[in-house]
Amino acid sequence: MGSSVSHAAAPPPPLPSPSPPPSSVGLAAALPPKQDEKAEPEKVDWLNLPCPIPFEEIQREALMSLKPELFEGLRFDFTKGLNQRFSLSHSVFMGSMEVPSQSSDTLKVPTAHYEFGANFLDPKLMLVGRVLTDGRLNARVKCDLTDNLTMKINAQLTNEPHFSQGMFNFDYKGTDFRSQLQIGNNAFYGGNYIQSISPHLSLGTEIFWLGHQRKSGIGFAARYNTDNMVATGQVASTGIVALSYVQKVSEKVSLASDFMYNHLTQDVTSSFGYDYILRQCRLRGKIDSNGVFAAFLEERLNMGVNFILSAEVDHRKKDYKFGFGMTVGE
Amino acid sequence: MAAKTSLKGKGKAGKGSKGSEEGSSAAKCVKEWSTWAMKKAKVITHYGFIPLIIVIGMNSEPKPQLYQLLSPV
Repeated sequence: MGSSVSHAAAPPPPLPSPSPPPSSVGLAAALPPKQDEKAEPEKVDWLNLPCPIPFEEIQREALMSLKPELFEGLRFDFTKGLNQRFSLSHSVFMGSMEVPSQSSDTLKVPTAHYEFGANFLDPKLMLVGRVLTDGRLNARVKCDLTDNLTMKINAQLTNEPHFSQGMFNFDYKGTDFRSQLQIGNNAFYGGNYIQSISPHLSLGTEIFWLGHQRKSGIGFAARYNTDNMVATGQVASTGIVALSYVQKVSEKVSLASDFMYNHLTQDVTSSFGYDYILRQCRLRGKIDSNGVFAAFLEERLNMGVNFILSAEVDHRKKDYKFGFGMTVGE
Repeated sequence: MAAKTSLKGKGKAGKGSKGSEEGSSAAKCVKEWSTWAMKKAKVITHYGFIPLIIVIGMNSEPKPQLYQLLSPV
């Protein structure tokens, strides 16, 4: 093998250098593993760690796979782009929405609404507004004040008095940390901070204070991720422990699991799910420890036309939700 | 826009004890006016946010035509 190494020379050429054809086959077979070995032992640059994921998105892979937007009824969304940055959206929904009730029975209210929305998406400024037929407005603003400081505003305004909500967030992004300050209505103040400890591990903490109810809380979170898996854990003083684990089995398939424990209500929930991202469709399914099965399919019929099917079955509570819909536009 | 932060309806409670003390009346006036300003800001945002986005969008480059707002094509 010594002669083939000397043929390769100092910068290993991917193609064999001019050598007789029979031995070039041997060279081509010998070269690829040599390059892989060179890539493996990377030195960790402890002063140059990557920027961590924002604190509120720490469980985002698990949430994307396990909590799709399940609905019951008909849903139709149409997004029309007028410009690269400006688009209007029209959305119709007819079906039942669940209303939280005190008893264990689910309370469903048949609703129908039309929602008009306008989006303006610029790299530095994002404005998203949605208004419903009953007069509710959902507004989101994201503005980059400087390279590292971002201001976000989130508001839901209603016609009924005292039901509106608003929240201001100020995010500061450092080289290997992120911090956020939140101010909301009802005198809500919160802050969180997340820091990269190693190229794969980041730890974060958050505190909040509710003025009107004089409640405060503190929480800690950790996230460990490699190229193929993400594991997160969150503990809060409100008595909630949440763990999640997502494993990317292949380019198209990932499996996710999630565990949540609420100490105050002694409530434990665990769920397992899969996420298939195929060329023409995306299929997500999950099963819960409460005996709930759910599935969500988005099928691409054509360029920009998606067909959606949603199903959630709870045999214990006898609650069956099936929905279908269509999304047109990017 | 910072006035939107706390939509508490408790600003009216300050009116009851207005006549009693001079020192805190300034603070109470400020509280009343800020509540009034916040209510007006909420109404303005409620009616004006979507038109604001449409105006900003119609003036961005490349300028879209007016009929594109209404036609489904």
